Amino acid sequence: MNFLQQLINGLVLGHAYALLAVGWTVLLGVARLVNFGHGQIYMLCAFTTWFIVSRLGIPYPLAIVAAVAVGAAVGAIMQKIMMGLTLKQDLVRIMIVTLGFGYVLEGAAALFFGSSAQILETPLTAHDFYIKDLWFNGQDFAIIIMAMVFFVALKLIVENTQLGRLVRMVAEDPPLAQLAGINVRRVYIGVFAFEGAAVALAAALVAPRTPILTSMGFEEVIITFVVVVLGGIGSIAGSYVAGLLLGLFSAMFGWLADPSYTMTAAFCVLIAILAIRPGGFAAKRGGN
Amino acid sequence: MTAPVLRVSGLQVNYGGNTALSIESFHVGKGELVGVVGANGAGKSTLVNGVLGWSRGPAQARGDIFLDGENLSKLPTHERVRKGLLLIPESKLVFGNLTVQDNLQAASRGGVATDRRRYSVEEVYGLFPSLDKRKNSLGAQLSGGERQMLGIARALCLGPRVLLLDEPSIGLAPLLISKMLHTIRSLVDEGLSVLLVEQNVRAALQVVDRLVLLERGSIVADGPVDQMRGDPRIIDAYLGKQAK
Repeated sequence: MNFLQQLINGLVLGHAYALLAVGWTVLLGVARLVNFGHGQIYMLCAFTTWFIVSRLGIPYPLAIVAAVAVGAAVGAIMQKIMMGLTLKQDLVRIMIVTLGFGYVLEGAAALFFGSSAQILETPLTAHDFYIKDLWFNGQDFAIIIMAMVFFVALKLIVENTQLGRLVRMVAEDPPLAQLAGINVRRVYIGVFAFEGAAVALAAALVAPRTPILTSMGFEEVIITFVVVVLGGIGSIAGSYVAGLLLGLFSAMFGWLADPSYTMTAAFCVLIAILAIRPGGFAAKRGGN
Repeated sequence: MTAPVLRVSGLQVNYGGNTALSIESFHVGKGELVGVVGANGAGKSTLVNGVLGWSRGPAQARGDIFLDGENLSKLPTHERVRKGLLLIPESKLVFGNLTVQDNLQAASRGGVATDRRRYSVEEVYGLFPSLDKRKNSLGAQLSGGERQMLGIARALCLGPRVLLLDEPSIGLAPLLISKMLHTIRSLVDEGLSVLLVEQNVRAALQVVDRLVLLERGSIVADGPVDQMRGDPRIIDAYLGKQAK
């Protein structure tokens, strides 16, 4: 029975990881960019959700919407400021600038929200469900459902809509996309805003599971990095599968071995997989 | 002379500190097919790229570009495209990760001025039936000729006022070159204005109305095709002495 409980934990954790990483997947796939302020956007939006629910007394669903708006705005502003570096694909400076943004966000959050750990309680965390000895709560259920809906919707949008086609065109060849009449700068801003919004959604849904601290964010970036690379850079379905597998692996390893070595073990698996399959799960045989 | 739809004035393109192209004045008339010929490095691609303010490299263009009298020189490339200035570049002219259908549907989107002829996806399939048969193939899976067709088809869906083609015959078999150029001619006969960069001068002479000769980044000859056919520089460099 304990195995089934760990399976449930792994599924919840896996969907949380996938949701956390999906913004980076699109960002890296489309704009060939990284955002090392990703974890701090997660932290900021977790605090935003907490502040709106706990301090302002606004219902949780509206707080999620507000957090997503804040995440999107932060992402768009970051990209607007870095546009010159983005167009030059100056990855080294982009890494440094996004790291810097992360620290600015961390400091700003500490100033505004304080340095104490906070607990985000939502109407869903209070709803426990039992099936014999198995337990999960409403928040876990919401994470799984929202992640699944989000991934399916995103995949449909990217593959079947005009917006998705334009984004894929920019991803493949930005100069040629200009010749197709596409405003590449606007697409880059949109993609960064999406990344911020996606991580904000993850924060609003996942943050109620753990205490919120302004110092958090680093582990979220590492998890995101693992999921994105394992899933295959730019692959939406790949990042879903990678997130799920990482979640299941973390839960099982923590149960069977030692939770404090979960990340070490996850990186060992990552190195082994990438040595065998450099393109991650989404790579075609022989390809990258 | 037909009324100019595209007029270029004082166009200069620099790579680093070096001037690669310097054009005092140049135009394409409405419903006119103008050929641009010249040796490798003469500045043919630089000319069409400069008109769009576009480059894959560090080139910088300045000068006035008038489209139907409107000065586009301050507009970025994508805005010039939306105004109806369409370039099909020499290499990498389609999106290889998108299907033929997606390439065309993306070009058929809204937000482009509707005061000019825009072909529907079905119309371009009628014009290029082989694309219809391969509508679900990725751009990367197409042959060179099919890619050229898709490039032109995509431009037609965007509603061109002037179509700029950079060496569409490159890598194509002679029969395909002839077919491609005659398709372009038929589009011009329907009212489209085209600037055609072409290294195959013999083939170009069969379809163009006017021919422009570029040498070392400057226009050295510009005239009606019948006149240019007898130009000694064209004969000596491209047609051979037996053409005299």
